[in-house]
Amino acid sequence: MRLQAALFFAACLSPAAAIYPDEVNHIDFHHALLGTPSPDSTFFLKPSPASNASLLYTLSDKLLLGAVNPRDGGLVWRQNISRSVNSPAHGVGLLRGLDGNDAVVGAVGNYIASWSAQDGKVGWENRVSEGVVGDLELLELEDATATSGVRDTIAVVASEGAGIVRRLNGNTGKTVWEYKDTSGDVPFQVSSSSTEVFYISLQSAMLKGFKIKVTVLDPLTGQQTRQQILNTEADVATPESVLYVGANSASPIIVWTDKSQKSLRVNVIGTKEINSVTVDNTSGSEIRQITVHAPRKLNALPHFLVHFETETGAWAEVFHVDLMSAKVTKAYQLPYLPGQSAVAASVIDANVYFTRITDLEAVVVSSASHGILGRWDLQKPSSDIALHSVSEVVAKGKSVAVRSALFRKHGDWQLIRNGQIEWTRHEGLIDAVAATWAETDAQEDLAHELEVEGHETLYGAYLHRVKRHVRDLEHLPDWLKDLPKRILSSILTDEVSNLDSFGVARSVIVATKNGRVYALDAGKHGVVSWGVQAVGTSQWNVKAILASPGVATIYSDDGSSVTVDVFTGEIVSRIEPSNSKLHSIAVFEAQDGTSLATVGVREDGTPVTAFANEDGFLVTTSIDGRVLGWFAKDNKTPVWEFVPPSGERVVDATARPAHDPVASIGKVLGNRSVLYKYLNPNLALVTAVNEQTHTASFYLLDGVSGKILHATTQAGVDSTQPIASVMSENWFAYSFWGDVDGSESSAKGYQLVISELYESPFPNDRGVLDSATNYSSTAALPLPHAISQAFMIPESISHMAVTQTRQGITTRQLLCTLPSSNSIVGIPRPVLDPRRPVDRDPTTAEAEEGLFRYAPFLDFDGKWYLSHTRDVAGIKAVLSRPTLLESTSLIFAYGSDIYGTRATPSQAFDILGKSFSKLQLVLTVVALGAGVTVLAPMVRRKQVNALWRA
Amino acid sequence: MSQARLPPPPPPQWVVSLNSPMPRPSKAASSIPDPPGFSSSRGGKQRQQQQQQATTKRPEETDALKMKKAWEIAIAPSKQIPMNAIMMYMSGNSLQIFSIMMVLMLFKGPIQGLIGTNAAFAKYDTPSTHSRLLGVKVVYMLMQLVLLCLGIWKVNAMGLLPTTRSDWLAWESERQPLERAHFAFR
Repeated sequence: MRLQAALFFAACLSPAAAIYPDEVNHIDFHHALLGTPSPDSTFFLKPSPASNASLLYTLSDKLLLGAVNPRDGGLVWRQNISRSVNSPAHGVGLLRGLDGNDAVVGAVGNYIASWSAQDGKVGWENRVSEGVVGDLELLELEDATATSGVRDTIAVVASEGAGIVRRLNGNTGKTVWEYKDTSGDVPFQVSSSSTEVFYISLQSAMLKGFKIKVTVLDPLTGQQTRQQILNTEADVATPESVLYVGANSASPIIVWTDKSQKSLRVNVIGTKEINSVTVDNTSGSEIRQITVHAPRKLNALPHFLVHFETETGAWAEVFHVDLMSAKVTKAYQLPYLPGQSAVAASVIDANVYFTRITDLEAVVVSSASHGILGRWDLQKPSSDIALHSVSEVVAKGKSVAVRSALFRKHGDWQLIRNGQIEWTRHEGLIDAVAATWAETDAQEDLAHELEVEGHETLYGAYLHRVKRHVRDLEHLPDWLKDLPKRILSSILTDEVSNLDSFGVARSVIVATKNGRVYALDAGKHGVVSWGVQAVGTSQWNVKAILASPGVATIYSDDGSSVTVDVFTGEIVSRIEPSNSKLHSIAVFEAQDGTSLATVGVREDGTPVTAFANEDGFLVTTSIDGRVLGWFAKDNKTPVWEFVPPSGERVVDATARPAHDPVASIGKVLGNRSVLYKYLNPNLALVTAVNEQTHTASFYLLDGVSGKILHATTQAGVDSTQPIASVMSENWFAYSFWGDVDGSESSAKGYQLVISELYESPFPNDRGVLDSATNYSSTAALPLPHAISQAFMIPESISHMAVTQTRQGITTRQLLCTLPSSNSIVGIPRPVLDPRRPVDRDPTTAEAEEGLFRYAPFLDFDGKWYLSHTRDVAGIKAVLSRPTLLESTSLIFAYGSDIYGTRATPSQAFDILGKSFSKLQLVLTVVALGAGVTVLAPMVRRKQVNALWRA
Repeated sequence: MSQARLPPPPPPQWVVSLNSPMPRPSKAASSIPDPPGFSSSRGGKQRQQQQQQATTKRPEETDALKMKKAWEIAIAPSKQIPMNAIMMYMSGNSLQIFSIMMVLMLFKGPIQGLIGTNAAFAKYDTPSTHSRLLGVKVVYMLMQLVLLCLGIWKVNAMGLLPTTRSDWLAWESERQPLERAHFAFR
């Protein structure tokens, strides 16, 4: 026992298990996601005038601004703008950039900021007090006032009844000039040519519709030079009717259509003339969508492409603008092709190229003529609909190369280079709402057979086993065939990668809000092995995913469920929705973790059905903040009901994890007496807040009897900040933001409180039940003795979980999600021991136990960060799962980013380290063997000679 | 028969020299040191006398002597106790190869002694002393047990004896609840 204590102490003294640099990307994977890139704010851009390398910039629907390396799809930098936006009503974001200009400017709501394009550092930021930013353009023209390389920004601010055009300095973001339009027109967009700035607003016509009003401004002073009103009220009914407003072009254009989409109206901004071009619809079906693609560069040729999409196919027409006469003429047509197609415009010097990607091929044409410059067959034609794309064309002599970033409807962002898919970013995963590890049935057969053997007689079991082994012989040839490869690979590769057979390489099933299900292979850096559209909805409220061998079932709040095959993603079965809306799903799990049955729980907390064949109790929460206890066979009246005191509202409830093995039922103290743990699998921790008095109460309930075993109230709690709680073994922890100003102590900040439950305050005492082997909650249930301690922590914790290992021998880590630093930290439990001596050094006995002096401020040690340097953003939940290795626990985090890793809270004690070389071992044995064979005859001869001499 | 008896022949020279004391060695000869291993005539005589005495001792005296010797052997282990106690005290309670070896030696001696109790007193075991030797053996065993206790005390101090509650913790089992609750919180 002393030995164990000594070892434990040694383990405590040695540095806590940290992530080593060579384990990064080896044991963990990270999908740094951006979300759906918005078509207007996605572009290739060369951030540095010195280099020809370009990055792919986007502002997504989640208001994440990011730069993606087009070579490998890796994220270069990322900014979350939604944190900076404080106006609640913000629409889509805007992002603008110019080639050779190391700044991208973005605006969301009333927030407008500039970031360095190379590293994403904020250049300046601005909050508009008058309203929201309607449009944004970078001035490409250089004037005398501008310093080289820095471009100013023109922004349109839509405020109440007025439109404001501002020129913002590219370096500081300060207003250079301002033009205010108080005519009451709807501020629409801003555009610029090489000499002028155009402010485009929509003027309400007398009866209905809008007139497009173009105000021409002087770029240097912001003075209005002239104004034009286009009579478009017959065509433009809403602002959405205007298809396109060009900018930064030699001749910027406005494009709209008539109501019947029979003809296209084009106006070169600054002129009064409206060109009308009839749409040459030969497909015979109705046009669904018209998009205009034009270069956004001052020196580019004034050519543009109009893409027409119908239900079944698409074609495109290319137009030229005559700069002198402002006339628009049709140059040529890209033929109608059935299926989907996406078009993008790109510019090299003055030449404009259009890239069209259809289901089968990618084609590059020049804007000047219809000759095809490059055509590539797509290697893997996708059935997924392409929504939009951006392209970058490189001309090499006469031939061209093209890479296109194509966003598909199901959330995949693909880079197609010359017809080949270079990478795919699964941006759809950003909406993950539930996840679980898939169960494979490889071990299941064996487990079943062993179970059979366990139930048979000795002789029968023996026969069964012999038969099983004989049957297993059929795998022998394969095994022998594999043997050399296995030996070779085990010698040559390092040990850490070879743990797949220990349950480390599992796939994770992830369900997203928009009805998709993905499988991520955690053994292969989390690559998406398949993704299916399970449900055609955009609000899939998944309540639970249950994995059974080979399949996973996803339960939704409408009572429906979908069962998918975990290997192929095939939908195996489907249960149609019922009429009642579910609040949660009760899962009746067997002791070994295989799920048995589920029962839906309505929003008022009542189970949908009685669960006659289940024995036990059910604890549910209702939407109005009550906790209810039900007996198995009765779903009409609850056995007990927990209603918090008036003024309090139940915000959260947690229970111990389903798999929560306890290795030791007591805690050995320094003098080798035992403090017995209060172990009860039916415990529930209920968090209730009182917004009036700013308190948070934590109630520990017994799930069978509803008895309150322990209750504590924290004062000065900010209930708007996250309150996370978790429970495991005989302890629970919670964190909150508190401002305690008491007489004896005061603390302001984030706090982490841990409570341990013991059967008795005295060592070697098991309480009133003493050595009873079982107990009933309905009889006299003893109360636990709780020891609590609070720590001040540097930042808020939004979610808590606990590492799970196979037998619970390994010390646990408290997994905390830190939303402000975008990381996941695993706090070792020994650090959070509430028995740490306060205001004194530990005695020898306490030191032997591993206790050290209590310090109120708990700084997160850099070694505790499971996510190390990664920026794991927006995590909503962290899951943990045991592996076959006792030391190792799998961790998977989802919510916005996807992050998976392995935790070894007590170091990887059952795995050979990387320094262990099998090759060296084998070589040593071989060398020793050779030495013995050489020396043996020599020694034998010598011995014989010695005998003769004697 | 007036046959006159002849006087006995004179004893041979070697008998004479044997019975008569050695002539005093000459001064020169006396300065010659004895060869190594040669005991002087005095010592030799003493031993001779002793041997003569021993052989001439009565059985009671022999037994008393034997008992005395046996007592000496029985008490002998007690002389080790202070030394061992000091050694054990000084060696510390940590588990190291030296302290473990010392403790092992401490156990080995008494256990071997206990097993070989009869062998140790076999020399002094005669039918006459047999009954009296019993007490001696008991004392001897007691002494060995004292040494053994010292070892046990040491092992206990090192924490190797399962004397505390924590040592039996692994055999205690978790109390099983008769009812089981399922939670539907999500």
